Amino acid sequence: MNLLIKNIAMITALCFCLPATAQEHHAHDDHATHDMHDQHDHEEANSSHTSHSGHTASDGPILTRTKDIESALADGGEPIVADVLGVVCDFCALAMNKIFSKREEVAAIYVDLDTKALSLVLAPGASMSDQTIADLAVQAGYRIAEVRRGDAALGSAS
Amino acid sequence: MRAAFLLTLGCLTSIVTVARPVSYTGGWTVIEESDRQSSSVLTHYTPAHQWSVGPRVELNRDDDFALYSVQPTWLAKRWFGADYQGNLYFFGGAGIASGTNGNLLDDRFAAYGGVMADWETRSLFASYRARYLGASHFGEQFMQAARIGFAPYEGDTGDLHTWLMLEIDHRPSDPNSVAATPLVRFFMGPLLVEAGYNLTVNQPLFNFTYRF
Repeated sequence: MNLLIKNIAMITALCFCLPATAQEHHAHDDHATHDMHDQHDHEEANSSHTSHSGHTASDGPILTRTKDIESALADGGEPIVADVLGVVCDFCALAMNKIFSKREEVAAIYVDLDTKALSLVLAPGASMSDQTIADLAVQAGYRIAEVRRGDAALGSAS
Repeated sequence: MRAAFLLTLGCLTSIVTVARPVSYTGGWTVIEESDRQSSSVLTHYTPAHQWSVGPRVELNRDDDFALYSVQPTWLAKRWFGADYQGNLYFFGGAGIASGTNGNLLDDRFAAYGGVMADWETRSLFASYRARYLGASHFGEQFMQAARIGFAPYEGDTGDLHTWLMLEIDHRPSDPNSVAATPLVRFFMGPLLVEAGYNLTVNQPLFNFTYRF
C-alpha cells in the first residue's frame, strides 16, 4: 500500500511538472528567432564546427557551416538547405547522414536539430533534384518541407 | 554457454525500452530491453523505411523459459511536424520456447504480437506499448506500459541528450500488477542508454540501443 501511495504521489508530481516545462519550452520558442545566433555560439567550442548560421523569420534556416561544409563550398559545390519534418533526436540526424552520405553527389552534410534543417553541399559539377532529396529523406524515415539552393541557402538572397 | 548468456541477460532488469524499432533503409540496430518479467536482445535490419526484421532472444525469468524468435516490426504510421514526431508500430514474433533454470518442459512453439506508439518533441516524450505472448505450456503473458518524459535542456546534433522519464507498467498476472519506474535516458549519436529503478519491485534497470 505504501508503494502504491508513493507511485501515485510521483505520477501526480510529474503531471504538474510537465505542463510547466512545456510552458517554458513555448516561451523559449518565442525567443528562438532572435536568439538562434546566440544558441549556436556555444557550439563553436565543438571541434567539428567552425561556425553556425542562424535563421531568419522570413526565409527559414540557412546553411549550417561545419568544417566539411566550408571545405566543400570552397571546392565550388552547390549549397542546399532542406527543411525536414520530424527530426527531433540524434537517431533522426544519424539516419539522414547515413542515407545522404552514401550518394556520390554529396560532398558534405549536416543535420541541425536546432533549426530542423538538412545542410548539403554537392560535389563540384554534381546536381541533385528536389525530388531526389525528398525521396532520400523518405528512405531515412522523414519528410522534406522545402528546399532552398544557392544564395537562398546561404542566406545572401536579396 | 547458452545458460551463461541468458543469466547475463537476466541480470539486466526492469523495463521496456521504446527507441525507434524501425531504422533508416539499410540500417542495423541492437536493442536490449529488460523489464521486471523478462530480458531480451533484438538485432534488427531495416530493408525499407516502414519495416524491420531480426532475431530476438528473450529470457522470461519468472516462468523459467527462453524464447528464440524472429521479430518483424511495421511502422504503420508516422506523423510529422516541424517540432514533433509521432509513430504507430505493430510488431510480432514467432519461434521456439525452451525451458531454463531447471525447467524440464519440452520445447514448444511460441508467438507474440503487440502495438507501440510514441510522440516526441525535443523536450517532451510520451509512449505506450502492449504485448500478448502465447507460449503453450510455458504460459501466457500480457503486459502494457506507458511512459512520459521531458528533457531538461535541448541538445543539438551530436550533443549529449538527457531525458527524465517515468514508466508505469501493468502486468495482470503479476502479484504487483502495476509498477512504476523513474529513469534517466542518455542519448548521444548512435547510442541510447537508460538507467533507473523500479520502485515497486525494487529492481535497478539498464537498457541500451545502438544504431549503425
